Amino acid sequence: MLKALVIAAVTTASLVTMAQAQDTLRVGMSGGYFPFTFVKQDKLQGFEVDVMDAVGRETGLNVEYVTMSFSGLIGALSSGRIDTVANQITITPEREAAFAFTQPYVYDGAQVVVKKGNESEIKGPEDLKGRTVAVNLGSNFEQLLSDLPYAGEITIKTYESNIEQDTALGRVDAFVMDRVSSAQVIEKSPLPLALAGKPFAEIHNALPFRDDEASRALRDKVDAALTTLKSDGTLADISQTWFGSDITSTE
Amino acid sequence: MQPLDLDYMLGLVPVLLGYVPLTLAMALASMALALVLASLLAVERILRIPVLDQAVMLFISFFRGTPLLVQLFLFYYGLPQLVSFLAQINGVTAAIMGLTLHFSAYMAESIRAAILGVDRSQWEASMAVGMTRGQMLRRIVLPQASRVAAPTLVNYFIDMIKSTSLAFTLGVTEMMGATQKEAAGSFLYFESFIVVAILYWGIVEVLSYGQRLLEGRMEQAYAR
Repeated sequence: MLKALVIAAVTTASLVTMAQAQDTLRVGMSGGYFPFTFVKQDKLQGFEVDVMDAVGRETGLNVEYVTMSFSGLIGALSSGRIDTVANQITITPEREAAFAFTQPYVYDGAQVVVKKGNESEIKGPEDLKGRTVAVNLGSNFEQLLSDLPYAGEITIKTYESNIEQDTALGRVDAFVMDRVSSAQVIEKSPLPLALAGKPFAEIHNALPFRDDEASRALRDKVDAALTTLKSDGTLADISQTWFGSDITSTE
Repeated sequence: MQPLDLDYMLGLVPVLLGYVPLTLAMALASMALALVLASLLAVERILRIPVLDQAVMLFISFFRGTPLLVQLFLFYYGLPQLVSFLAQINGVTAAIMGLTLHFSAYMAESIRAAILGVDRSQWEASMAVGMTRGQMLRRIVLPQASRVAAPTLVNYFIDMIKSTSLAFTLGVTEMMGATQKEAAGSFLYFESFIVVAILYWGIVEVLSYGQRLLEGRMEQAYAR
């Protein structure tokens, strides 16, 4: 029994990432970003999973999910461990220079969230001066905060996960993430949190692919599927399910 | 203070139990490899082969002198930058490599001490009755040395099982990684982490029981 386990372990361990056939789409996500990508009872689910499943049906590609820490996703994409990232990836000039993006499929905003009761004191990013703010490591929100003219007066703490918990516990004054997730976390989780003011920056999320010929062909396939899924209302339906509103179009 | 969500906790147990095989497989594979490597290192430290001896001492010094987490990051994130082939290594492999090298450095020292702990008169007596070196080691020295080394080695194995929880930092969804994800989705942090703590504790308690049985059996031969 023990012997079998050891053999099994060593065999699994010696299997290296094989080159993928073109009928598979390896999608990276963190599995820890409610309600875009999260795990309940060992089942990976969320808005991103539904969208990518629909993309798989539309393109005929076999979608394979790979979960890892958020900050490792972009590196895994560059090194070819995955083909794209479905984790609310915001289009930025830096990322556009390095990757080939699809059209946006989520229109959202950056939001400051505080512990319940502090929303009268902190009403937006200007009130973060002299305070400590949590953001996810490697996220666009970290970048947005650093780009504020008074960024020098804000103490930015980066996390792999659990920024909501540290804000609820009062270890940091606020966290910054996207508006729709924030609203869902406040509604669905037991944590005492509140939105602080209105969203302060517009963000567009899309799927990044590597910038080489094969990956761009894959990107074009997925992009065509997104166009179809937008016009036939599939994306709007998925958005209603998770957010109670349509975040997949600009209207 | 909100009441504990017992339903959630009970629901989490079968989910996490599904990850026990991976946790144990990583620990067992590392232990098997570490025993081989540590024995070789221990034998070398006793024989003191020139040049090789300095290399072995450096190896032991480095892997005892740096944190396991640093070693894991070095293997998984650091070395692939220098050696592109290493980028092919997955998280499980990197974790097993890291645990093997880290623990073999410690285990080498306890195996060496156990072998040297067998009284010289035993070696001399074996030679006197005409045994070859191999027979002497196999029949006389190693059985006595393994009795001395066994408790320490089991302790290292227990430590190894708990250390597999660091593999989640390499993107391996093992027991701790699975717990993290469930917690991030449910926002029930206390419930999630106390359940995984109790599971690790249970695994180690079962092993400690086995350790006591093993020690009892090994002592029988020496009962007076």
